[in-house]
Amino acid sequence: MAESEDRSLWAAAARAEEAAALGEIGAAGEPDASTHDAGDGRPQGIEGSDLPGPFPVGAYALRLREGLRQRPRVQLFGEVVNFRDGGRAKVYFELRDAGGALPCSAWRDDWEALRLGPGSVGDGARVVVGGGPDYYPGSATSSPAFTFLVRTLRVAGEGDLLAQLDRLRKLLDAEGLFAPQKRLPRPSLPRTIGVVCGRGGKARDDILAGLRRRGWAGRLIWAHAPVQDRHAAPRIGAALRELAALPEVEVVVVARGGGSLADLFAFCDETLCRTVAMLRVPVVASIGHHTDRTLLDDVAAVSCSTPTHAAEAAVPLHCGEARAALSGAAERLRGEGRRAVVDRARALAVMTRAPAEHVARHRRTLHQQVRELRASARRRAAEEQALGARRLLVVARKADAAVLEHQRGADAIREAAGGLRRAGPAGVERRSRDLERLALALAAHDPERTLERGYALVEGPGGELVTGAAAARAAGRVRLRFHDGRVAVRVAAQRGRRPPLTDDGQQTLALDDLPTSPLRTTRKPAPPTTRPGPAPAPAPAEEKGP
Amino acid sequence: MTDEERTYEQAAARIEAIIRRLDSGETGLRETLDLVREGRELVEFCASELEAVGRGLEELELDALIARLEGPNT
Repeated sequence: MAESEDRSLWAAAARAEEAAALGEIGAAGEPDASTHDAGDGRPQGIEGSDLPGPFPVGAYALRLREGLRQRPRVQLFGEVVNFRDGGRAKVYFELRDAGGALPCSAWRDDWEALRLGPGSVGDGARVVVGGGPDYYPGSATSSPAFTFLVRTLRVAGEGDLLAQLDRLRKLLDAEGLFAPQKRLPRPSLPRTIGVVCGRGGKARDDILAGLRRRGWAGRLIWAHAPVQDRHAAPRIGAALRELAALPEVEVVVVARGGGSLADLFAFCDETLCRTVAMLRVPVVASIGHHTDRTLLDDVAAVSCSTPTHAAEAAVPLHCGEARAALSGAAERLRGEGRRAVVDRARALAVMTRAPAEHVARHRRTLHQQVRELRASARRRAAEEQALGARRLLVVARKADAAVLEHQRGADAIREAAGGLRRAGPAGVERRSRDLERLALALAAHDPERTLERGYALVEGPGGELVTGAAAARAAGRVRLRFHDGRVAVRVAAQRGRRPPLTDDGQQTLALDDLPTSPLRTTRKPAPPTTRPGPAPAPAPAEEKGP
Repeated sequence: MTDEERTYEQAAARIEAIIRRLDSGETGLRETLDLVREGRELVEFCASELEAVGRGLEELELDALIARLEGPNT
């Protein structure tokens, strides 16, 4: 409804302008221009057309500008996009919303009179502007331009673009699309690097500088793509896919220099971000300045503030340092290997010498011990000698004392001998007499003397003395001891019978037949001894009583 | 592990581990010689990798490369 009214309004305005132009041009003295030929250079009109004219375009353009300027001044609101403040007479930007856009401009005097803070109006800013349409008619050498001439402006807040960007960021994050790239392993020393950047941009030089700084000189595959218009995102996405399809490409750098948010908006494209998230190779992003953060920065494996840093991130290893470290490692390995062998060889050599050294050590020890032994022996001998000398002295002294004692003893003996010599003969004589007397007395009591006179002793079988008849009968067998030997007899109890001979030829005596006193022996018909033994000898020599 | 499967960082990490092991002084002769041999192979691999990115910058255009790759088929 509003659109149709707007369209009819525009149509009415156009008709009015055309009528005015016609009137003005007609007033210039050419009322019937359509019927005249072009004698003054003006061409004839289109045959059969009922439209007025033809009119010179410059005159029409001026009329158009006047008509636009006569339109009522209004206030409009929208987001600032593609803001350009180049220090010229005017500042330019576009005012956009979802329904459409207007190119806007403001005279510098008017703009500065607004006293807007630096940076308060920029891409994405939501603003309200006051002004009206204007038209620059151009000339033979310059292009015309339509603009909405801004006289006043108020910043209304952050734009919908940023809000939209934020919503998309949250959506991609919720889907986990920020993670896959960061999980990809990044080679520390890629041989081939793909680069997506604008053709002839400064980013290219920065990337080369970064790679030089790393000492990296491998293979670079450039994929040039537009980096800021509406074609940029699809072309960048295609370039990334093609680079990732090359098997030798190990990492891709996407770089773009600084710019407005609108310039960088291509790098917030949802499709591009989803493409990057699914790539097999890690993507290092460097989009705009460090204050800008596009969605591609979030999705990429690494986000860097400048293309130079992006190049360094693509080659994490400093090649020069790595070469130095590697040669150091090689040297250490060489040293370790050599040392492992040489040290052991030395140890072996030492071990080979060890037995001889062991023997030599023992020999030295032995010599030392021998020396100590000799010294000890000498010392000991000296001590023994001293001790011997002391003992000798003691012995000598004792010998002297003994000699002295001996002399004293000898003197005493001599003295005693003298005494004995003096007392000897008288004593001997007296003692001989006493002895003789005692011998006589003793002989008088000797039983043998009694036996020699014809008596006999009766002994039992065990040699005990039988002193009575009852004992003799009880013993049964007795021996009679005479001065010249013994006779065995058996005691007979019967009277008047001759006693038989015993087994050994001895006679049996009946005690009852014998006179009780004095004892008499019977004659011996057989050998006189009753037992083997020494031959009978003279009684005093054979058996002697006590 | 073949050279194709091996990466520079794996090789460099292994070299560091080998040197740490050798520095520990706990290795016997056989192990030392084996480690040194392995380390030398890894150093050669790393040196070849560094050599590959040290010969001089080679710059290709993606479009030209694709055109060349697709050339024989078209």
